[in-house]
Order: sequence, then C-alpha cells, then structure tokens
Amino acid sequence: MPSTRATGSGKRGASRGAPMLRLRIGFVLIAMVLSFFGARLVQLQGVDPRSYAVRAAAEGAARVPLEAERGDILDRNGVPLADSVKGKMVVANPVLTADRAPELARLLSERLSVDYFKTLTALRGRKEGSQFEYIARRVPSTLAGDTLTEVDAAGFEGISLRDDPIRSYPSGDVAANLLGYMGTDEPLGGFERTFDEQLAGVDGEATWQSTSGKSVRIPLRESTLKAAKNGAPLRTTIDRDLQWFTQKVLAQSVRQYRAVSGAAIVMDTRTGEILALADVPTFDANAPTEAKSEDDLGSRAMSDTYEPGSVEKVLTAAALIDAGKAFPRQRFKVPPNLARQDRVIGDWFDHGNIRLTLAGIIAKSSNIGTVLAADAFSPVELVGYLQRFGLGQRTDIGVRGETPGILTPGEAMTSQTKDRVAFGQSLSVNVAQMAAAVNTIANGGVRVSPSLIAGSAVTDDGVTVGTDVATRTRVVSKQAARATARMMEKVVDPEDGVAPAAQVPGYLVAGKTGTAQRVASDGTGYDGSTSVSFGGFAPADDARFTVYVVVHAPKVDGGGGSIAGPVFSRIMGYVLGRYGVEPTNGTPSRLPVEW
Amino acid sequence: MSSPALQPRTRVTRIAQEAVDKARLTVVPRVRTRAPRVPFMTLVSLVLVGGIVGLLLFNTSMQQASFTASALEAEADTLAAREQTLRMELDELRNPQRVATEAQAMGMVIPSAPVFLDLETGKTTGVRTPATRENAIQLQPPAPIMPAALAPDPIVVEVPAAPTVEEQAATDPGATGAEPRKNRNR
Repeated sequence: MPSTRATGSGKRGASRGAPMLRLRIGFVLIAMVLSFFGARLVQLQGVDPRSYAVRAAAEGAARVPLEAERGDILDRNGVPLADSVKGKMVVANPVLTADRAPELARLLSERLSVDYFKTLTALRGRKEGSQFEYIARRVPSTLAGDTLTEVDAAGFEGISLRDDPIRSYPSGDVAANLLGYMGTDEPLGGFERTFDEQLAGVDGEATWQSTSGKSVRIPLRESTLKAAKNGAPLRTTIDRDLQWFTQKVLAQSVRQYRAVSGAAIVMDTRTGEILALADVPTFDANAPTEAKSEDDLGSRAMSDTYEPGSVEKVLTAAALIDAGKAFPRQRFKVPPNLARQDRVIGDWFDHGNIRLTLAGIIAKSSNIGTVLAADAFSPVELVGYLQRFGLGQRTDIGVRGETPGILTPGEAMTSQTKDRVAFGQSLSVNVAQMAAAVNTIANGGVRVSPSLIAGSAVTDDGVTVGTDVATRTRVVSKQAARATARMMEKVVDPEDGVAPAAQVPGYLVAGKTGTAQRVASDGTGYDGSTSVSFGGFAPADDARFTVYVVVHAPKVDGGGGSIAGPVFSRIMGYVLGRYGVEPTNGTPSRLPVEW
Repeated sequence: MSSPALQPRTRVTRIAQEAVDKARLTVVPRVRTRAPRVPFMTLVSLVLVGGIVGLLLFNTSMQQASFTASALEAEADTLAAREQTLRMELDELRNPQRVATEAQAMGMVIPSAPVFLDLETGKTTGVRTPATRENAIQLQPPAPIMPAALAPDPIVVEVPAAPTVEEQAATDPGATGAEPRKNRNR
C-alpha cells in the first residue's frame, strides 16, 4: 500500500520539494518572524519602556487642575470684605480663529466688554504660530459660559474657557488700605500678601481617562483625585459699616481743609480691637491701578510717622500723676515764654503770666506749663513711661510696613529734647501706637495691645498676631488714669477747653487736641505745615471706645480742635449709637483750670 | 455428615460451590442512564448569555451613569457659579456706600449723636439733636472744577414766547413785538 501511495504522489512531491526542506524553510520563516517580535519586545520593554507608558497614559487622559478657592477676608460680623468668585479666562487658539477674526472679535468685545482691537490682535495671534492667547481674564463664570454658548452657536472655533478665580472686594474702597489687592496671579499688598499662606490654600489635581471630547470619564479606568485645599478665611476686627463711615467723614474733612492725607482709628477700649482704621486718600481695591498715587495703596496710618503734638501731653500728665509728681489741681505759674538752653518755648496762644492748674495746662494745651510740670521727671523716667505706653515700638497688628516710630532712649536724651518730648515734639509715632496709648488712660491705666485680626494669624514674617495674643500691661495706676481722664474732659469744655467741637451731645467726652509741626520730607527740619489731631474716648467715666483722628498738612488755618475735633465727634457719636452705648449721666469734671 | 471430621470438607465444597457460582460472571448490561442534557445546556447557555448581556448592560449603564455624572457636574458647576455671581451682586447691593446713597436720596441722614428710646417706659435718653441737611455726609467727592476753557458758561438764548390768544386779541397787531417779552417763561 505505501508503495502505491508513493508512486501516486510522485509527480506532485517533486514540485513541492522534500518535506524536510519545507519544514526547515517553515521553521526559518517562523524564527525570523519571532525574532522580529523579540526585537520589538526588547525595544518596547528594554530600551525605553517609560515613554511608551506615558504616551499610552496620555492617550485619552484628562488632567484637570483643581484651583483652591482663596479664603475670604471677613469683618468682625462675618461680612466679606474680600471674597473669591469662580471665574473663567477666555482663551483663543489663533490657528483656528485667525480666519474669521474680525467677526469673532466683534462678538467677544461686545459680550465681554473688552477692547475690539486688542481682541482682534489676540485672535490673529500676537506671535507667528501662537496657539494660545488670552482674550479676557477673570470673567464671571456665568457670563463666560453664556458667551461661549453664543460663540459656538455662531459656528466659531478655537475659543475655550479655563478656570481663573476672581477676587472681589464688594465694598470697593472700604478698608482697601488694609486689605491690599491682587495682581494678575499673586497678592501685591496688605492682608492679601501678609496672610497669603493662610488665604491661598493648596491647588489640587484630578486625572482620569476620558473620551476624545475630554469631558466624559470612562468608568472603571484609572482616575485619581487630589482634592484642592481651600484657603482659610481671615477674620478681622474691622466693622465694615463703621469703617465706611469713618472713611467718609475723614475724607470729607480732608477735602474741606485741603489736607494732604488723614487717618482715623476706632478702638474698643476694653479689648483693644480696632473697629476701624481709615486712611485718606484711599483707592478702590477692585481697581488698584486707578489709584492716584502708589503711596495710596498702603496704609499711611501705620507706615508714616509724624510728631503727635499735644495729644502726647496726656501721657506726660498721666505719668507724672502716677509717679506722684503732680496732681490735677497743682498750681503752675505759666510765663509768656520759657527760655531753655538752646531755644525759647512758646505757647500756641499769646498770653502774659497766667496761673493754670495742671488741668488747665491740659485743657488749654500749654506747652510751657507741660514743660514746667515735666521738670519733675528725668529723661529716663519720662521715656520709661512713654515706652510702657507703647511708643517707639511696633504694635504688630499685622499691617505691612509698620513703622516703629522714633523715641530717643532716655539715657541718650538731652534735657532740651525731653522738654519737647513732654509736649509731643521730637518724637514720632504711628496712628495705632498713639491710639493705644490714649486708650491706656481710657482703660484705667492698663494698656491693651491693639489688634486687627480676630483670633490669630501668622504673618509672612512668621509673627503671630491677633486678639488671641493681645497683651495687657498696667502702665499707670487706676487713680492716675482717672485723674487724667477728668482733666481731659476739660479739653472739650465750651468755656475752659480748646475743642468744644469734639463733644458728643449727651455724653461725657474726654480728649486731647494736637497740633504739631511737620518734619519736611527731606528731614531738614520743620516745613511749616502741621499735623492736627484729636484723640479721646467716651463715655469719659466708663470708656467704651477710643477714637483718634489725625489730619496731615491742612491748607486751611486750624488746629486739632477745629479740624480733627468735629471728625472725632461724628465718629464717636456714630459708634456709640451703633453699639448701643447709652449716656452714663455722670457728673462733668469740676476741676479748676485757673487759680 | 455425622463425623465431625468431615464437616469442614463439606463446608469447603459448599463454599467452593458458592464461589464457583459467584465466579460465573456475566457482563452487566450497560445501563445508559441518559440524563437529559437539554436543561443543563440551557442553564449553562442562559448563565453565559445572561452574564454577557448583564455585563453589557452593566457597562452600558456605567457609561450612561458617567454621562449623567458629567452632565450633572457641569450643571453643578454652572449653578455654583450662578450662586456665586448672585452672592457677589448681593454683596455689592449691601455695599454701605450704595445703601447710604439711596438712604440719603430719600432724605435720611446719619444723626450726630444717638438718642435711645426705652420701649417699656417710653422715655428717651440722650440729647435730642436735630438731624439736618448739614449732618448728611458727602458720599462722593465733589466733581472737579473744570478750567473755564473746558467749561464755558452756557449760552442762554431767550426765546420770546408766542403771545397767547387773549393777548393777541387784546393788543394791536403792530405792538406784538414788545408784548411777549413781559410774559417770557423763566
């Protein structure tokens, strides 16, 4: 049988070749193919496995940055002074938009209120081959979404949206000098910058496999989510409405007296919380670039020093009484002028030899009288008290660029300087320092360190600030503070005092005026302009609020009583009403001013 | 049979006999127990088909859920943005500047000193001070005064009013030129 089969296939066998040969050729072919596979395998896995893995992952992978929401800055009642709103940036791909740029630019400029020509340039690409141009930034999401829908409906291509949070300051210029403002991508001043770490939060990221549209996730495929950590809100002690009122009243006065600038501060006497800290001129935090001067962007109240003038006399008087070296009814013979080694000290009003009590010296704001009273102090003693009142050192309330002021150390102070320091010249302060010092007398001799942040927060310098770290130190005895307050009541007395305009109808008000010469900006001496101020508290017998106002370089003749006094009165009247502080019906001070 | 010695023999034979009987084996007829295959196959097929269809449906529903999730997420985003925009508008409406402007336009002013009314006794504490127009605070800085070149005095053109019918009837037509000047509207 086999033989017949062999013979039967003899013809065909010859044409196919021997089976062994076929087998070998087959094996060789298979080996070749397999070795190709092998080589490819080595190439894929051995040579550069990562790049292929990355390419595979990138294929259809969507990676979405999750922007952390910036924390709000709140006032003491939780009203946002600065808040973050979801926004979008509108971006264009000029490769797709260049062809129909004019029509698209017209649509976009109308809807988004952007410049037509800038939009046109962007749509055509500012650079050759550009594929990414900004059309508008920080557009409210709803507006951006509506515009995109319209653009799509009109058949345009190449416009897309990306997340771009908006920082909004709903009250415009209210507390703008403290809050600061945001640049395009980073904070550029104020609390925004000082507390950026707390406010900014940490961005997150989500990745997933998606369909080609990059919008719909493919289920059961790799997806990761690193949630964004939103910024923590910053709570301040500011009362928004009071801050607004303070700014308006101060601005009105600065305008009326054609002054260069002004500052006002409202402090809660017992807690040291700053309810309002106003700066004039100010700016709209929503449009910092429209500020008239770059200096308006910071807080002059904290960064500029000035000589406090006669308001400082109450510190000298309180210190003298506390040290047992003076008392309110103490009698002084005040000459028309007082010759001290290098120069003659005069008073703001012409007088002959007059007989004033210490209360009268304060009420009439006599420099000569104060110098005579302060003769009981050595420079070291006086400076020691002033330092305990907080002068010459930063208040650390969290405002950027705060000046420590200038207070010559007692050991280095000459007696002439001491004379001038006693009535508030030859030393300089910032507004919060001076307010806290006056507040010490209002608070029964205990200095409460002022604070602007409720709770606590850490500045970018690593300093913890806020009400949690506020300190209380006794500077003068309760009796000394009370006696000084009684003398300060005489300042607003219509007959004996110099500032009846600072009264608040129905309330006992204690205060002190100040009119100080201003040091020229080049530091060469006094330039002839003045800084007029008024600091005081009410109700005088149970103080709840301390208000301090200073107006720099008014061009209309006037002193602390006539310019700053009415501002004080308006602000104090408002804050007493706002916080429901009823008149105490206390008896007015009956201290004699003359003898 | 009676001899006890023989007993084992007979037993043995009997056993052998039995063994022989047993050894006569016959082929057991092969009983083909035909368990009905159809239900099993149906079951397996059903499980298989059900599994595949189920998986398909499951996948489809997952995909559907993914679409829904995307749509809902987009909607949530839109609504959140809307809410934020509205809240921003609300905050702007609450801006003390705006509230004060409206209030002042209605004739309200912020008093210079507070007065308290005790609702139980009906008595007031504090000094009652009139709130006058002077108490109103300047909400906007006054508009800057423009130099004369930019803000020339308005040119006032006095247009003589047309004489009324009675006047026209009363007066001589020749005197109408002087008459309207008296009645010009100011």
